[in-house]
Amino acid sequence: MEMDKQSEFKQWVNDYSDLLYGYTVQRGMDTEPAKDIIQDTFLSAWRSMDTYKREVSVKNWLFIILKSKITDHYRKSSTKLAVETIEREHQDHTYFDAADHWKDGVCPEPWQVHFDNKIEVKEFYHILKNCSKKLKEIQTTVFMMKYMDGLESEDICRVLSISSSNYWVLIHRAKVQLRACLQKNWVQK
Amino acid sequence: MKVKITCKQAVDYISKKEEKKLSPMDQVLLWKHLAICRFCRMFTSQNKTIIKALSGFGHEQDYHLPEENKRQILEAAFQGNA
Repeated sequence: MEMDKQSEFKQWVNDYSDLLYGYTVQRGMDTEPAKDIIQDTFLSAWRSMDTYKREVSVKNWLFIILKSKITDHYRKSSTKLAVETIEREHQDHTYFDAADHWKDGVCPEPWQVHFDNKIEVKEFYHILKNCSKKLKEIQTTVFMMKYMDGLESEDICRVLSISSSNYWVLIHRAKVQLRACLQKNWVQK
Repeated sequence: MKVKITCKQAVDYISKKEEKKLSPMDQVLLWKHLAICRFCRMFTSQNKTIIKALSGFGHEQDYHLPEENKRQILEAAFQGNA
């Protein structure tokens, strides 16, 4: 009996750990905390295996546990501090002059992406990925929840326990920063 | 009443518009600004490009939890159970 349980659990780790890990990392979490969270998720699953009713698929059940672990992570981690740092480090005068017009050198220049060109899109994604690494963890998380998961801002605030003005700072700065980074690194053919 | 907005405000308004939090009167101010400012027009379209790219982001990437971490999960689970 115990052996069956162990081998079933092994199967779960085999089948779903990459998927859960990818989900977590893509949503902006750094790899080390992400590994801890995956371990935590599976250990919770192991402990509650006997009570798991199988009303939802294993995969969905693991995702439910994972999402609550991710929420806990952001409740615990110093989100407030991160927001303050972002406000301090990325003042608007990075991009705008005294008259609040675009500064030379950082003002938008023409570039675009041809989404029908697979090679170009691949290169663009590569740069986008590198640029998003320069954002703070919490910033990327908010960004991905919004644009990858398509969540509403109210839900994002609730899940991450942040205020709507925190949300605003995080997402707005991320957008401005990301565009500037892409412009710098995306060389048009 | 405001008649003109700056680039900094325009960028703010663009974000607010996307969140559907821009009043109709401010929308008019934004349109007027965009009509005369090519930088902010570029910002608008590039911002849209980024958002479009993000919605398809990550689908073609594979992530792997290192084998070592998988082993650790199993060890921690089975040990704790003993």
